[in-house]
Amino acid sequence: MQDPLAFVIAIAHIAAAIALLNGITTTFGQAKIASQALESMARQPEAADSIRTTMFVGLALSETSGIYGLLIAIIMLFANPLVTILLNYLG
Amino acid sequence: MGLEIDNLWRIEIFGHEFWITETIVNTWFIMLFLIIVAIIARIKLRKFKEVPSGFQNAIEAVIEIFENFVKSTVGEKLSYIAPWFFMVFMLLLWSALFSIFGLRPPTADWATTFAMAFVSLVLMFYMGFKHRKGDYLKEFFEPHYIFFPMNLIGELAKPVSLSFRLFGNMLSGTIIITLYYALTPMLVQVGIPSILHAFFDVIIGALQTYIFVILSLMYVKTAAE
Repeated sequence: MQDPLAFVIAIAHIAAAIALLNGITTTFGQAKIASQALESMARQPEAADSIRTTMFVGLALSETSGIYGLLIAIIMLFANPLVTILLNYLG
Repeated sequence: MGLEIDNLWRIEIFGHEFWITETIVNTWFIMLFLIIVAIIARIKLRKFKEVPSGFQNAIEAVIEIFENFVKSTVGEKLSYIAPWFFMVFMLLLWSALFSIFGLRPPTADWATTFAMAFVSLVLMFYMGFKHRKGDYLKEFFEPHYIFFPMNLIGELAKPVSLSFRLFGNMLSGTIIITLYYALTPMLVQVGIPSILHAFFDVIIGALQTYIFVILSLMYVKTAAE
């Protein structure tokens, strides 16, 4: 290991990529919500309005984990605290 | 438009340094626009007739749609909070639409969204105390008083998740549009980005604003009932 700073930055980029992987599970959850809502709307068209409202709220709630992953990735790339600590340590 | 929030100028009040950032100035522009529209509506209100037409028709339709939406969400009894959430809805919607003009939307800054979500938290506590008094406090100690820290953290996490949701969505749109402008030649920067703006600003912005308002209304409803 020649340069500790390069190592930390490379690890931070890999960590950002891993944090973005939770998009897989988030998408599966949202797809399940949308398909279930479509099925209930087809079964009961008169209740479509209330089902649509509940579906949007459910989609937004399950989207939260994906957004957290995105924010962690952005912090890793642009505002990484570890790089600052390392720069202070190296002097 | 860039990834960083630019600091336009700094002022000093009593030895404290305050930064006037791009976000604050853009919020002022939106406030100015909304205040002018409100004053025009107030002046025209005197000449309103029994049978609406033109400008009066549009204003009445918007207000009525929003009041019906609030009534269907929180019920008849609590629907007096509709004007506040109408203001929040308009401010967040115009913040999202602001980046159509190539400027940075104020909601792509965590300060703006957290301020809005924090006011929702304060409103939630206030409505809970006002409508249920002791019962609301007792709910924090359910099912046993050992659970008080967990209940408190659960309540305090609500504005954080509410603000992060809106902030993350608007920031991701801003980043993608900025990358498009930075990486493509001048030739394709006219006309084609309008598709990106239509998706990330208009559709996502309007949907997330709606979700912000409906989740705040649901928090208020669960606190007050």
